[in-house]
Amino acid sequence: MASQKIGVFVCRCGGNISDYVDVEKVVESIKGVEGVKIARVNMFSCSDSAQEEMIGLIKREGLDGIVIASCSPKLHLNTFRQMAQRAGLNPYQYTQVNIREQCSWTHTHDRDGATQKATRLVRAGIEATRHSEPLHPIEVVTRPSVLVVGAGIGGLRAAIALGEMGLTVHLLEKADRPGGLVGTRKALFPTGADGTSEIDSLLQRIHTLQNISLYTNASLVKKEGSIGDFSVSIRVEPKDGQDRADTIQLNVGAILVTTGATPYVPKEGEYGYGAKGIVTLREFLDLLDSSRDSDGIYYEGKRVRRITYIYCVGSRQKEGHTYCSRFCCSSAIFASLEVHKRSPDVLQYHLYRDIRTYGSLEALYQRALDQGSLFIRFSPDSPPKVECGHNGGGIKVLVKDLLTSKRELEISSDLVVLVTGLVPRVEQQEVQDVLKLPVGIDGFFNEIHPKLRPVETVVAGVYIGGCAQGPKNAQESVESSLGAAAKAGSILLKGKVELEPFVAEVDEGLCDGCGQCVEACPYDAITMGQRSDGTPVAVVNTRLCKGEGACVPVCPKEALEIRGYGHEKIRSMIRGLLTE
Amino acid sequence: MKTRLQVDCLVVGGGISGMESAITLGDMGFDVLLVEKEASIGGKMILLSKVFPTLDCSSCISTPKMASTYNHPKVTSFTYSEVRSIKRGPNGAFEAKVIKRPTFVDPERCTGCGQCEKVCTVARPDQFNDGLIARRAIYIPFPQAVPKKAVVEKKGVSPCTRSCPAGISVHGMVALVRNGRFDRAYSRHLEDAPFVGSLGHLCPAYCEMKCTQGKKSKIPVGIKGIERALGYWHLKNGGDKTPSKSGEKRFGIVGVGPLALSLAYFLAQKGVRPLIFTQGKRLGGSLLDAVEKGLLPKEILEDDINTILAQGVEQKDSPENTPFDALLEQNGLEGLFIEDPVRAKESERERIFSSPLKLDEPHLLPHIIGVARKISGPIEKFLEKGEYSLPEDAFKGLEGEISIQEPQGHNEELLPEEAQGLASRCLDCAVCSQCHECMKACPANAIDFSMEPEEVSVTTKTIIIATGFSLFDPSKKPLLGYDRLPNVITAMQMDRLLAPTRPYNAVLRPSDGKVPGNIAIVLCAGSRDRTAGNTWCSRICCMYSIKQAQLIMGALPIANVTIYYIDIRAFGKGYEEFFQQAKAMGTNFVKGKVARIEPTANDDLYIYYEDMERKGGLRRQKHDLVVLAVGAMASPQLRKAFMGDDAPDVDEMAFFSQSKGLSEPGVTNIEGVFVAGSATGPRDIPDCVVHANACAAQVASYLKKTEKG
Repeated sequence: MASQKIGVFVCRCGGNISDYVDVEKVVESIKGVEGVKIARVNMFSCSDSAQEEMIGLIKREGLDGIVIASCSPKLHLNTFRQMAQRAGLNPYQYTQVNIREQCSWTHTHDRDGATQKATRLVRAGIEATRHSEPLHPIEVVTRPSVLVVGAGIGGLRAAIALGEMGLTVHLLEKADRPGGLVGTRKALFPTGADGTSEIDSLLQRIHTLQNISLYTNASLVKKEGSIGDFSVSIRVEPKDGQDRADTIQLNVGAILVTTGATPYVPKEGEYGYGAKGIVTLREFLDLLDSSRDSDGIYYEGKRVRRITYIYCVGSRQKEGHTYCSRFCCSSAIFASLEVHKRSPDVLQYHLYRDIRTYGSLEALYQRALDQGSLFIRFSPDSPPKVECGHNGGGIKVLVKDLLTSKRELEISSDLVVLVTGLVPRVEQQEVQDVLKLPVGIDGFFNEIHPKLRPVETVVAGVYIGGCAQGPKNAQESVESSLGAAAKAGSILLKGKVELEPFVAEVDEGLCDGCGQCVEACPYDAITMGQRSDGTPVAVVNTRLCKGEGACVPVCPKEALEIRGYGHEKIRSMIRGLLTE
Repeated sequence: MKTRLQVDCLVVGGGISGMESAITLGDMGFDVLLVEKEASIGGKMILLSKVFPTLDCSSCISTPKMASTYNHPKVTSFTYSEVRSIKRGPNGAFEAKVIKRPTFVDPERCTGCGQCEKVCTVARPDQFNDGLIARRAIYIPFPQAVPKKAVVEKKGVSPCTRSCPAGISVHGMVALVRNGRFDRAYSRHLEDAPFVGSLGHLCPAYCEMKCTQGKKSKIPVGIKGIERALGYWHLKNGGDKTPSKSGEKRFGIVGVGPLALSLAYFLAQKGVRPLIFTQGKRLGGSLLDAVEKGLLPKEILEDDINTILAQGVEQKDSPENTPFDALLEQNGLEGLFIEDPVRAKESERERIFSSPLKLDEPHLLPHIIGVARKISGPIEKFLEKGEYSLPEDAFKGLEGEISIQEPQGHNEELLPEEAQGLASRCLDCAVCSQCHECMKACPANAIDFSMEPEEVSVTTKTIIIATGFSLFDPSKKPLLGYDRLPNVITAMQMDRLLAPTRPYNAVLRPSDGKVPGNIAIVLCAGSRDRTAGNTWCSRICCMYSIKQAQLIMGALPIANVTIYYIDIRAFGKGYEEFFQQAKAMGTNFVKGKVARIEPTANDDLYIYYEDMERKGGLRRQKHDLVVLAVGAMASPQLRKAFMGDDAPDVDEMAFFSQSKGLSEPGVTNIEGVFVAGSATGPRDIPDCVVHANACAAQVASYLKKTEKG
């Protein structure tokens, strides 16, 4: 039997817990429970001072196991495991009980009930610690190499950083050439930097780094293994003269997903899209890029004298794309400045909801206002109407101006620019399937936590950067991809990584080789082997096992257990929960 | 004290960006030194209530970062420290001079128990509550501080204390009286000097001539009155009669004047057993003349003398013509001091001491006490080691005529309450008053006022500037009324009111402690505003205001919250949804820039604004609390530390520039110098964390490249 001298610490979390759970009462009611040596209340258990205090108590009182009733283990399991370790305990003899998310925050109107529930959960936690055994993480030697999926500006820049850190980089691009969205742009806001030459200079740097290999027309088709030691298969589409695709096997320590996003394409007829004279922001930028030396703005040969921009097309919608695409306000305003530069007599109307030129980008907006662009605010409840084909091809935009008493204005326009945002790429689905990455309601890949772990995913060793995580401008894509590179680097430069020891174990004495577990395992981590006498027995590959536990309940003989979560422990926890 | 340190990266600033960069680089195996100017790491983030758009409790997210920074095996953290200078060394690395400011608390001993805060006599605006409440001169920054150790804010020595010839901790005495602790004030005075009540009558009060309040308002703090009140207080209440350390060594003093009595007092304090030979005279000497002249009440003088005697000073009458040698021998004395320098010349022998000047005029009392103290040290040393050397400055300024002002009138009795009133005008110009209450209260014996600044020479290959931003000072927009209207507060103050470690454990408005029911949040207070000197958007205010609106509605379910805005800039991941959620909860969004704020009769407020979306025109709306969503301003002070090298470039708003284009975030124009987080411009927390990691990647690339040569 493991822990017999347990310390229980119930956290107030400032007032986050104690406002709704009577923490003193919880402490009182578990005093005397078998195995509990001391029970205390903490103000902020996670604070350094509280940790130091607990370490002192553990050492002084000779505790051999601890329970902390605080927030979700997602937040602080590691914090307290490390604390336990600093106090000389085995980190796996620590149990975190979540009485914040599961009690105080959920039962704000029932203090008694929340307190009772917290008490039961803490009892279960005590049982968990009482039946815990010292475990040791599985140490994996990491491979000093990274797979970067997507060679837009973010992927390219991350690859360079990783290469410069001395890691081997395999950079995959689905298209036939790298560069992504930025590679197609001549002038990027706010400075007017040339996207194509920016990409060219990144590619030059990549060519000088021997440890980076770039694969175009390539996609990720398979991934096995776990953080520090993945094996992946990539498929390279046949080039001219080849008849079949190549499949390349690679071993890498980490994977960066920098697959980007794609501009929203309006539906046929959305704000008149499809008709002549109505273009998306991307098409308008293409038009500006392709006529950089011209002194006026021409659309299909005709000089443009009036431009109307309609903002938030495909963004901030009631349904579908509810999110803000972040870059489009600044991008459209930057384009209008370029128009003004070439042809100051062009009248420009911006129909907007909120102008989101955040931070220093505000200077662009100020300049546009100073130069005479007109900004007209509309309500999402009565969006502008676009009427085409009146009087020989002119376009009329009707809008209710919120700032002048909702009078309907009629703006005749030579060109209407639909300021379209960014949406997830369709091709993202493949990567999502292979890597089993979760996406948010916006359809972009989800980080674990926007502040604590903004470039990490729930799949350890897989990182996200750039617009694959959500809309960003070019520099922000570079920042987040470099951030992902830093996190991958911090794992791989260390040379080893520790994995949770929670893998399935087979009791050979009980296993009758029925094979149901083999089918239940979603990770192909269980195979049928043989005992020395030739009888079949289940064998777990600990490198593939995620400790998910799908095998445990299907075993008719109770021959499988997840290490650290044995049957006896689970049963005692249930008994703890049920104790009045 | 000087130390040397060699690291791969020096991170300046221990906010979220600095911590994040440091942890990532440490994880990569680089040696990092993080320098933070405050007494705890954590920056602005740890002060926040909850954070958008997830409404996570900010403490819960910050504290693990703080703990893992502080406990990281590859990261050294210096708090309460400053980078003074940065120079490029011969091999391309930087030589930085880091000053660890004295905290006056031994961090090894301090347990963070907070007993010292409870007894400290000086209150300061609490920078960790944006001035909403006070903290003490000795303070632990906040409950989750890392490290959780007390520090003393001390700006040199107060001019009153410095100017006192008697060496009295004048500021400490004043601060104790202000707090109504007369017994402690009296004994604190006695620690420095005897004659409390007599000084209160006779002292020319040099302290008042130097008083900062006097310089500011022409009327100094009435320190002499305070001292006099203490004398009267003691006369009535008594107390502090416990003798000092009792020693074996006996020392004789011939004389009954203030110098003799003071010397006896100081020697008794040092554990010597003084014996005064009165030779037929009454104790008091020249002070008795002052009594005669009506300058000093008799009973005050008697009380002072009794206090001295109570320290273990003995007196003995002996014939005036007894030779000094005989006095020494007959009484088993180790030495003898002759108060009258003329008489002292009778015998120039070892073991017989005197003052070369005759000091006994009543108005010289503070000087006389000062001289007695200065002589007492060498005498103590002589008794221990047999050597005697008087400090050179013992009589400095006392030769010849001393120009002093005649004591100013007012010798009447003062009541303790009156003294308290006088003391309350003290500005605490040196912050710590040296009242020493903390030393007495500290159970760990951790207070150490002898601490000196420590200079650390750091050699580092790279530097990350992570010095963050400062909040816009709303007094620069007088029309918004921050300075004149108590119920106009800053957004940081509102966040403190909402935080789990909030000052009043409730959302209350400052003027009367009422729970507000109709709260306005004014966006772009000092942003997007030419008149405020900040034309940029501060990027964070829309979102933190939307967060506050939601939290206020949670804390005060019946309160109305109105946000006055120009544009709502909810641009990040999940932000637009967060904005819609606030709308759905009932936050009232009004498009219109607020022009000015005026008070009503009962401290409510009228907001005057241009109503842009309804009927138009200037409108007025009443609220009972107004929150100014102050913006983010640059904080480029670190530039001054760059010496010899050009300082890193800043942009038009004085934020540090990322000079190498869009593919090189975090890279400045100075090779090896990087910038992370909101030091580059306003940024929210997620963008700071990402940027700090990008910066760490840049540093790692640079270090690996330079390693290879």
